[in-house]
Amino acid sequence: MSKYICPACGWTAEDDDKEYNHCPHCLSNIHEEDEEGTPCGGTYEPVSIWVKKDDTWDIIQRCTFCGQMRTVPMQREDNPVKMMSVAAQPLAYPPFPLEKMEELTKLMGGRGDMEGYYKE
Amino acid sequence: MNRENKKRKLDRNYFMKHPCTDSFTCKECGWPVVSNGAGSDHRNHCPNCLTSIHVDNKPGDRASTCHGKMDPIGVWVRNDGEWAIIHRCRICGKLSSNRIAADDNPMKLMAIAMRPFASHAIPKSRLDNMIRSMEGK
Repeated sequence: MSKYICPACGWTAEDDDKEYNHCPHCLSNIHEEDEEGTPCGGTYEPVSIWVKKDDTWDIIQRCTFCGQMRTVPMQREDNPVKMMSVAAQPLAYPPFPLEKMEELTKLMGGRGDMEGYYKE
Repeated sequence: MNRENKKRKLDRNYFMKHPCTDSFTCKECGWPVVSNGAGSDHRNHCPNCLTSIHVDNKPGDRASTCHGKMDPIGVWVRNDGEWAIIHRCRICGKLSSNRIAADDNPMKLMAIAMRPFASHAIPKSRLDNMIRSMEGK
């Protein structure tokens, strides 16, 4: 009888013997071994959300020590506010002025516009 | 230039130390890509469709034998506030993170960032219930 305790944030599960592939509270994990099998010990932090073709979400985690990335599937228990915060991170820090987006796309000759939103 | 070509051929880690200035055509969308204009010496992905090719295991070593197309699956904000694209190889599933270039298609970048908000993976009814319980009603 052991309860899941998150090694990153210290959150303790309420139910016994439940398996989590990442902490539902902080969406993090510990990076135990790298590809060669040497211990790393860094924290896998959530950096982004991958929306798959079948509309399920994967959390993309990145190790703070060695920079390795991996994806873990979203769980039902995951904190929705934290998930939304991770997903909204790029929108909060855009690399270009958003009002100039269409102008910049036209300037580089790239494909894509925002017309689809106004169509019913 | 001849000597440079020889060096390029024989030095296995040539691109770890030198920028690659070759032009290429995107294998996904056919966009002609030139090396200048990226704001960086290392052109990694097509500026129009943001697709990359899996040629490196470590940056610049050209050691991968996979050569699969790498789709952009997400963007994230680094600690210095810069965006980076996360690429995933279609064949072997390897993930890699790459800085965005100055001339990348802004519409396509924003489309990747907006994708989670149009998805139904978190149902609206559950969110409604959560907001109501957050308000303490």
